[in-house]
Amino acid sequence: MTSNRRLFLTGAALGVSAATLGKQQRSVFGDAPATGPPRRFVFIRKSNGVRPKELSLPSFTDSQSKRDHDKDAFRMDMSQHELPAWMRALEPHKTHLAILQGLSCKMSENGHWSYSSVMGAFKSGRNSLSGIKRATIDFELAKLSPSPFGHVELSLTGNYSTFRTGIVPGYSAPGAHQRNYCYADPQTAFDELFKSVAHPDAVASDNAMLKFLQQEEAYKASVLGGYEKLKISNHVTSIESIQARNREVEKMSGSIAEHMPEIDAVHLQGGNNATTPEKQKAMTDILIAALVTGLTNVVTYTIDELSTPVKGLPGNEGDHISLHELGHNGGYSGVSADDIRQKVRVGHMDQVAAIVERLKAVPENGGTMFDNTMVLYFPENGEGHHSHGTEAPFVILAGDHCRLDIAGQYIRLPYHATEGHKTIGNWYTTLLNAYGNPIAHYGDFDLEMSRKKLHQSGSISELLA
Amino acid sequence: MTFCIHPTCFRHSKTPVRHFALVVICLIVVGSSLGSNADESTSTFQIPSEIESLLKSHCSDCHHAEFAEGNVDLGSLQNEHAAERLEVLNKAQEQLHFGLMPPSDSDDLASQERATILDWIGAELKKHGASRLEDKLRKPEYGNYLSHVDLFSGQNKHMKAFTYDRRWLISEYIFEARFNEILNHKPYKTIDGKRQYVIGDNNRRVNLTNPFLLPTRSGVRYYSNEVLNGGHLLTMLTNAKEVADHILYLAGRDRRYVPAVYEIMDMQWSQARTLADREKFLNQFIETILVSIYQDKHTAMLPKFERVKIRTADSSGIKKSPFHAAQPGARELVVLYHAMEKHSGNTARDSEWIEKCERDWFNHGDSPRTIQTRLTFLAGYLDEFREQVERHRYAKKHKPPVYRPRSDQEQQEIEAAILAHRNPGDRYVEIIKKCLESWKLEFEAERLAAGPLEQQKVDDLVIQLYQLLYRRDPSVDELNRYSELTQKYLEQLGNLAGIKKLIQTLILKTDFVYRNEYGTGKKDPDGRQMLSPRDGSYAIAYALTDSSPDPELSLAAAEGRLNTKGDYQREVERMLAKRDQYYVIDEAVQRLQLTASITNTPIRKLRFFREFFGYPQLLSIFKDNKRFGGNYDNAKGRLVGEADRLVDHILQLDRNVFHELLTTNNFYVYHSGDNDAMIAASQRVRDIYDHFKDLEWENFTFEDIEKHAAFIQEIKMRGMGRNPKDDLRTFKTIMTSFRSRFDKGQTTAAPFDSFPAHGKSNADTRTGLQLRSPEVAKFFNIKLDDWNYPAVQPSPVQHRKGMLTHPAWLIAHAQNTETDPVKRGRWVQEKLLAGTVPEIPITVDAVIPEDHQRTLRQRLETKTNDNYCWKCHQKMNPLGLPFEIYDDFGRFRQQESLEHPDNLIKKGPDKAAPHVDLRDTYKTLPVDAAGVLKGSGDATLDGEVANAIELIDKLSRAERVRQSFIRHAFRYFLGRNEMLSDSRTLIDADQAYLDSGGSFDAVIISLLTSDSFLYRKEKAD
Repeated sequence: MTSNRRLFLTGAALGVSAATLGKQQRSVFGDAPATGPPRRFVFIRKSNGVRPKELSLPSFTDSQSKRDHDKDAFRMDMSQHELPAWMRALEPHKTHLAILQGLSCKMSENGHWSYSSVMGAFKSGRNSLSGIKRATIDFELAKLSPSPFGHVELSLTGNYSTFRTGIVPGYSAPGAHQRNYCYADPQTAFDELFKSVAHPDAVASDNAMLKFLQQEEAYKASVLGGYEKLKISNHVTSIESIQARNREVEKMSGSIAEHMPEIDAVHLQGGNNATTPEKQKAMTDILIAALVTGLTNVVTYTIDELSTPVKGLPGNEGDHISLHELGHNGGYSGVSADDIRQKVRVGHMDQVAAIVERLKAVPENGGTMFDNTMVLYFPENGEGHHSHGTEAPFVILAGDHCRLDIAGQYIRLPYHATEGHKTIGNWYTTLLNAYGNPIAHYGDFDLEMSRKKLHQSGSISELLA
Repeated sequence: MTFCIHPTCFRHSKTPVRHFALVVICLIVVGSSLGSNADESTSTFQIPSEIESLLKSHCSDCHHAEFAEGNVDLGSLQNEHAAERLEVLNKAQEQLHFGLMPPSDSDDLASQERATILDWIGAELKKHGASRLEDKLRKPEYGNYLSHVDLFSGQNKHMKAFTYDRRWLISEYIFEARFNEILNHKPYKTIDGKRQYVIGDNNRRVNLTNPFLLPTRSGVRYYSNEVLNGGHLLTMLTNAKEVADHILYLAGRDRRYVPAVYEIMDMQWSQARTLADREKFLNQFIETILVSIYQDKHTAMLPKFERVKIRTADSSGIKKSPFHAAQPGARELVVLYHAMEKHSGNTARDSEWIEKCERDWFNHGDSPRTIQTRLTFLAGYLDEFREQVERHRYAKKHKPPVYRPRSDQEQQEIEAAILAHRNPGDRYVEIIKKCLESWKLEFEAERLAAGPLEQQKVDDLVIQLYQLLYRRDPSVDELNRYSELTQKYLEQLGNLAGIKKLIQTLILKTDFVYRNEYGTGKKDPDGRQMLSPRDGSYAIAYALTDSSPDPELSLAAAEGRLNTKGDYQREVERMLAKRDQYYVIDEAVQRLQLTASITNTPIRKLRFFREFFGYPQLLSIFKDNKRFGGNYDNAKGRLVGEADRLVDHILQLDRNVFHELLTTNNFYVYHSGDNDAMIAASQRVRDIYDHFKDLEWENFTFEDIEKHAAFIQEIKMRGMGRNPKDDLRTFKTIMTSFRSRFDKGQTTAAPFDSFPAHGKSNADTRTGLQLRSPEVAKFFNIKLDDWNYPAVQPSPVQHRKGMLTHPAWLIAHAQNTETDPVKRGRWVQEKLLAGTVPEIPITVDAVIPEDHQRTLRQRLETKTNDNYCWKCHQKMNPLGLPFEIYDDFGRFRQQESLEHPDNLIKKGPDKAAPHVDLRDTYKTLPVDAAGVLKGSGDATLDGEVANAIELIDKLSRAERVRQSFIRHAFRYFLGRNEMLSDSRTLIDADQAYLDSGGSFDAVIISLLTSDSFLYRKEKAD
């Protein structure tokens, strides 16, 4: 156990660059699976919590309903059941769907926001940089499934009135005390990700700059010796590794050109007039293309955050909706907060379904790309608008080659701070163990579980295939 | 006889299997790190006969053939592949260097023999550039491996001190300060009622990610060993783009910022301003202009009006979102206001003027979605909007624009363009767009006609960007190379993108991310050169602050007044005395509970003690509120802030600093640092309580309160008067809380708030925010409802003695759920006794067994008292266990609570007022805090101690402890470990401390004027 921890820490210390460097350097940080296609992970964060009852199946028997309501652990096949109305878009994919209830996230930030903490299973002291304790789970998985971009983060957030645009601070963390960048509007994401095809001149000028820098620094290194030489030659090596990555991306330009999405003109210059559903759809198209082209195997997408303005929602087209206000039960144009929340989730499920359908349409190794993909939709803060973190439901879509035994199942784990309870730390450990990182436990422990001396380390063995 | 060659495991082992595993792990982990030249054929390797003989006589008993301890066979070195051989040699080098081999119960090597083997191994590893020891010895955690006696005995005082020429990677702090300087980010804060410029508040408009993060450990963190890696550079690549954009933005706003950028861009930006001005003018007044041009034909040319549909719904039974959650944004509200002003004047019905507005928006070409949103908002919130318009004085703040034609020529230009481009049915935005496009083409042609850039402008650009980014001029060679590069960029990318690319290039050079410290001038007989004045000015500035040299220091360097020890002393003394600059100590602390984490002490002086003691590590330790008995998360920021304040206070006094830090019994507890303000705040609570205490206030009615309205208003009783219907409840809440602060015979009360709310607080921070988190007192065993609050602080607190008994240090050196005597003991061993503790062997399962019938000490002893563990733990446990008189929250205790459900005696409340203890009560066992001090260097001090207070008392009297502070200060200010040649520097600094009555400033001055700091030497390859 200890040696696993040590090995993990060694990797984590190197993690800053692990997900982003060229193949040669990446081998230091984590090799791709020896054979077969890459493993892909899509994390979709949503705000306002996911209320556990929203995931209860309407076709539950009375006793199942009671167990679910009472938070008793159980596990059942969903094939003969009906999904909640807001999840109907996933009905065709039910055999790949898992609803995972009963995880807790109290060791991360709760309340309104969790910032980076929910994907790292730590308390971040609000949104402080020094509070970021470790690389988040998406970055850890990205190390196990390397790609030219390593990891891509997208977000649709704002200041309640307008959307953020451009490249902005993200929520994922490549390492301790590091905050990731993310693309905040579809056009920026498009321009940056597909630059080699969309803006070849910009890539050429970047390459010219790197070449100049490489020559400059290599000359300096040539007249130095010892440790001082190492400092400069490391700089040169770093430049070379970025050049190598750029070359790798350039080689993919055929695939990029083939799969690059078309972005509607409404998204130009930040897309001030785009509705929220339009932005979501465009982001989904980009997300899918980033996976299909192979630019990345891991995407984290904050589909909304409490400050994301909601505009153009079907049935409330003219309203400027505040997600935060929905959490306080405020309605708009005669539509109740609950109904609007449901419509927001329906919009999310449409995006999830689109990802699954598009990946299922792309052949890969005798199957489809979706076979090697997991999509995880989950609340950033727990079980409600003002969450305590006692529950953090996950909706998961997992392809046929998923290394977990969850597909097609409704799983309710033991409730928080009771015997057998599992936290998001256990859940992330399960993902890491299943996909090649043998870490003994990822994330901080739940302090109430610790106080009650309940076991909480390690993976959720019953979910491992 | 067998012994293990692993550097951290010096057990005289009988368990080869375990060691086999260990060595295999090591080989796996480090095997890939060896250089490529380590693949050399085995055939060239030869062991000299002298070495072979030494290995045979001292090592081969245990490391040979089938008896190879730890699977290390020195006999087959010759046949090993290079990578494996170098790995074994690396381990052997470390074992011998650190004196871990041969083991103590075997024949010792004579020192000459040891040196001979080490020389040979060193040379062999150097051939392949594969020595790990050299790297290790550069690291702070190996600093103590240099003999303390050798450094302080005086026997090496004659050696000439120096530092090797070096590049030093910038720190996370320098990164922030440098970009703040470059980007003109000058944040201000109100401190003690005055507006002050504050360094370290990094909430810039530009989004940058800091890749140069320092390690998060106790002890010196910023060393010159660090090397830039791919992760750093990749992050800097994105940062460089962001910074370049912002530099261009600033250059466009202020032509003095980088004049060359402005000059190169002048024509283009002037044209852009003209376009922006015309666009704005047209957006505001196009209708007026069109009517003026087309007169009565205008209406016929308008597009056919199509109304937008909005949803009208029955809202009964639905909670309507309030105005603030439904309004479409401040800018849109102004648009709506202007439209309303234009059309609602003489129209009786709202629907009529709203339709006129809609027609305007349609004609203008606003997006149907935008129009729909505006109409929906007006339909649902018109009354509220009108109320807002009144309340926020829109009529004054947002006056509708008044049409004034432009100059004749400009007006003609605009009207001509409209006439050329307007088609019937065009919406206004379409006309504007066509006009703008035609003007853009004209402007582009003008720029082409102006011809290429003059060389002088390009040179100026390079020079000015060097000055902005590197604060120096380029050399002639640099100017030539970068001017040539700039010309290429400008030709290929255009002016704006070309300048941007040049800025990015300069930011990505090693010149930007490393600070240079090189000698210059004539070498002395020992081959040393003094730091160049420029590098010297940076070395001083970065030793004391995170910023570039201040103007006086830069001037001194430029004018040749930074060439002697005296020059350095003058500048260092001046900067240490400076108190007109404020710094944010820790942004994370500042963020937590609005703590004012500020100081006007030169920031790196205070930061040394933060890093040395490591108490800010507390921030990453999260704890169970229930076990704390209150809101720990809220209180921890204040705890660190108040530890900072105590250190700062001792540094301001600058007398017997080390001794005071170790022994003071005066602490800050729930205090802003402003004694006058806290006296007044506490007295105010007393005044309110005294006013009402005899008036049976418990039975007051609202009318009773009304009788005291004048008093309540004058004293500004918190939360009263805003909403009269709540006043009675608020009043009783306050008085109940105040009564609890006086009803046990207390004479003074802590001025904390009785309930959370915005607005006036009972006490403020020095930055004028609410002084929150009184629960910080609980760490000191102080009950909020039984506290004679000392308004003048720092003031005595029972059972405490110095920083090692400050709860912040105790928590930082504990675990989430229990204390950590090993961690605390290791800290004392390494930081105060200048001792060493080997790394924990990788195979050790360092987990203390659970047993809820025994104390942590008992469980720890079970685990570590066997011979194998005790070899290391004897250096830590006896020094850490005395701190068991404090729990993992830093609370003093005599009984240890056996926190386990089986031992629960009484459950505490889950929620209550701040003064209530929420803890559950468990069975307890008495605390045994006995320990042993060994290694103080003073036989009269070494020996048993009953607890931490006794231990600290002895430590505070030890010369070794004082000198250990000096050694760590040396590392901090020099950015490297001590060498034997630094002996005189250390002795001088120690003497300066003694001679000055314990001034830390004297230590800093001594170090920063020492030969170690001033002189540089080239390092041979």
